[in-house]
Amino acid sequence: MFRPTRRTLVAWGLGAALLATPALAPALANEPQYGGTLRFATLGLDTADPHRHTGSIAVQQAYAEALTSIADDGSVKPWLAESFSVTDDGTAYTFTLRDGVTFHNGEVMDADAVKANFERIKANVTKGWLASAMKLVDGFEAPDDRTFVVKMQEPYAAFLSLISEAWILSPQSPGWDDTITTPIGTGPFVFGEWTPQVELIAPKHEAYWQEGLPYLDAVHFDLRDAADENALALRSGDLHVARVSRDALPELRADEAIDVQFLKDTTWYFWSFNNRSPNPPFDNLKVREAVALALDKSAYMNFIAGADGIVTNQMAIPGNFYHDADLHASGAHAKPNLTQAKEILAQEGVDPSTVTVEMVSWQTPYAEVAAQMVKELGFDVNHRALDDLGAQNALGAYDWDLAPMASGPRADIFLRFVRFMSDGPNPVLWGGVQDEALDALINAGVTTVDAQERRAIYLKAWQHIMDNYYTVVAGHASNAFGVRDDVGGFTTGFTWSPNRVDGGLAFTHLKPAD
Amino acid sequence: MSVSTVRRGVRRPGFSLSLVLPVGFVALVVAAAVIGPQLVGVDPLAQNLLSRNEGPSAAFPLGTDHLGRDVLARLIVGARLSLWTGFLGLFAALLIGGVLGLIATMVRGPFELAFFGAVDLVRAMPGVLLALLLVVALGAGIGPVALALGITFAPFFAHVARATYRREHGMTYVTAARTFGASERWILSFHILPNISGAFVTMAAIILPRCIVTESVLSFLGLGVEPDTPTWGRMIAQAARFLERNPTAVLAPVLALSLFTLSLTLVGDRLRARFDPWRLVGSRS
Repeated sequence: MFRPTRRTLVAWGLGAALLATPALAPALANEPQYGGTLRFATLGLDTADPHRHTGSIAVQQAYAEALTSIADDGSVKPWLAESFSVTDDGTAYTFTLRDGVTFHNGEVMDADAVKANFERIKANVTKGWLASAMKLVDGFEAPDDRTFVVKMQEPYAAFLSLISEAWILSPQSPGWDDTITTPIGTGPFVFGEWTPQVELIAPKHEAYWQEGLPYLDAVHFDLRDAADENALALRSGDLHVARVSRDALPELRADEAIDVQFLKDTTWYFWSFNNRSPNPPFDNLKVREAVALALDKSAYMNFIAGADGIVTNQMAIPGNFYHDADLHASGAHAKPNLTQAKEILAQEGVDPSTVTVEMVSWQTPYAEVAAQMVKELGFDVNHRALDDLGAQNALGAYDWDLAPMASGPRADIFLRFVRFMSDGPNPVLWGGVQDEALDALINAGVTTVDAQERRAIYLKAWQHIMDNYYTVVAGHASNAFGVRDDVGGFTTGFTWSPNRVDGGLAFTHLKPAD
Repeated sequence: MSVSTVRRGVRRPGFSLSLVLPVGFVALVVAAAVIGPQLVGVDPLAQNLLSRNEGPSAAFPLGTDHLGRDVLARLIVGARLSLWTGFLGLFAALLIGGVLGLIATMVRGPFELAFFGAVDLVRAMPGVLLALLLVVALGAGIGPVALALGITFAPFFAHVARATYRREHGMTYVTAARTFGASERWILSFHILPNISGAFVTMAAIILPRCIVTESVLSFLGLGVEPDTPTWGRMIAQAARFLERNPTAVLAPVLALSLFTLSLTLVGDRLRARFDPWRLVGSRS
């Protein structure tokens, strides 16, 4: 039978006294604790095969990591690669892989596994961000276990950013030869039980390569993508961290138990014209100019994001490397001008009372504001407000005139420009532009190694887009997350990614109850 | 003996105080729908982004919604649209179910079999779900919504048509008329239709509130009419997100919809009591 000695009793007594010391208690409470399941509501997961994804990237990186990672400041940092280098001509990338990284099945992540992933992406993935980059690849090499080399036909400036979504999986993942059904990655959590559109339960990866991480036993992803309902669930304590709509921010900010954070990159809000097959009179640039003059950007962005709204005429916000202050200052549509707009319409022989603007949007209140602004010119508006799939289908029919839309954070500015390319991925939100001159400019930008030179070319491309009124930018706002006060270590990233080189789920822990 | 003979001397249920309130409320809503928009004089679509989610005030008696639109003006115009869509849906249901059902029952044979097979198929599906699917297929707008409501609720009229026609067709007064050489058309027009119309009125009184509620559900789900078109269901859906900040914008259409459908149901119940000849027969025996 265990009998405590006097020495043991003294030690216990001292320990208890130390724990009871008020000065030490907060320090201990702030120490990350192991265990618990985080209930996390974010965007959905469209496929179990990360290489084939075309939807959001709000979940995948919890279980699948990449050679690079977009850090919180938007820069590209090595991740599963310990380091990387690029030749001066920008056509060869050499990655030195991190030592001691294992997949969830215990297999070591080596250069052959990485090469197999890139070859799978190049061979099988024809849609999405990586498709255009992979077309330029000359070959992949794995000279030793920890070195991986990519050789390109020509420079591709966005490559390091883009491969932050080239997730490295074990070639043993079930479905590897067709569609992966259970991805075996290297992330801090394992792809567990997935119910599409509902939830993913991801248990901890016990042999995660970052020592001591993750703190949590599991993450329970709520994939219903219900930002409005999330706010209520967060306030009631049913969720720990949740994407929330901006409409709910006043109540969330008033709740002392909740901290509101924002993604570091912004969502940009714009009005796109149908550029693929425009109907008269919207095939006339002057008429498009008149419509753009009806857009009250300040009111529009204030409606969307209140004081957080950023008004600009560009796809990058002030402070971003690709933003141009002069272009911003000289914007012709900084303020609405209905008088001028009506004069233009009269000059062009357009009687707006005889024209019905076919408008397609998501079911968002800001689209109703846009419809009202267009009506101010005297147009009738037939507004079709649809869910995401319905809107994508309707936009793809190109039988509409105007679409007030928005697009979320991206790992690289090219991922915004590529939407305007003739063969760009999912171009419907931007009216399906078909413009060889613009294609050439964007291609020139992405293949230019020098950053300043690249910026100048991109700005020229943007000026071209503005001149043709393909899309008129209203402004930017960041996406919001609510975080309960019993969650420690969670920070939002530059994009939707929930696990990054400098933050995210691996660093998140649950605080013990008081 | 025709039912008209039965009616004579029977004390019909009269108007009581319990009927005054629902009739009054229905009359108020109908009056608001008909002349209200002209009286209010406020554009229900006009947005005032600087006055969003405001409570009741002298300028806005029921406050404003999330786009700064006048809730009272939208409620009144919403009454017109909800009523209009409801009546159109009811008319479509009566036409599809009642008229076609009567014809199919009279014609008999394969047409009756096919028609009532389709009716049973439609009836097997939950009403709201069917209406939702139809609106997705037919597209947005009052017309498609009314047609969807019509198809959804047509089975109720079809079954009433078949049951009442067969019941009346076997009655002695029909046999007597036939004996005296009356044509089938004459019998239908002057004997059967007058005696089954009460059942249709009763069914219409039951279906109208269901049409209005279903339209509201469709609007609540973001289907149906255009997003800025004020219908009660759409108003509830749009204001629900701001319930804590601006409860009036939710409560106003919720109360209007609840009271109106309750009143219609009570009125319908009383109409049934007044016009259903078999109820009258029962009351005498």
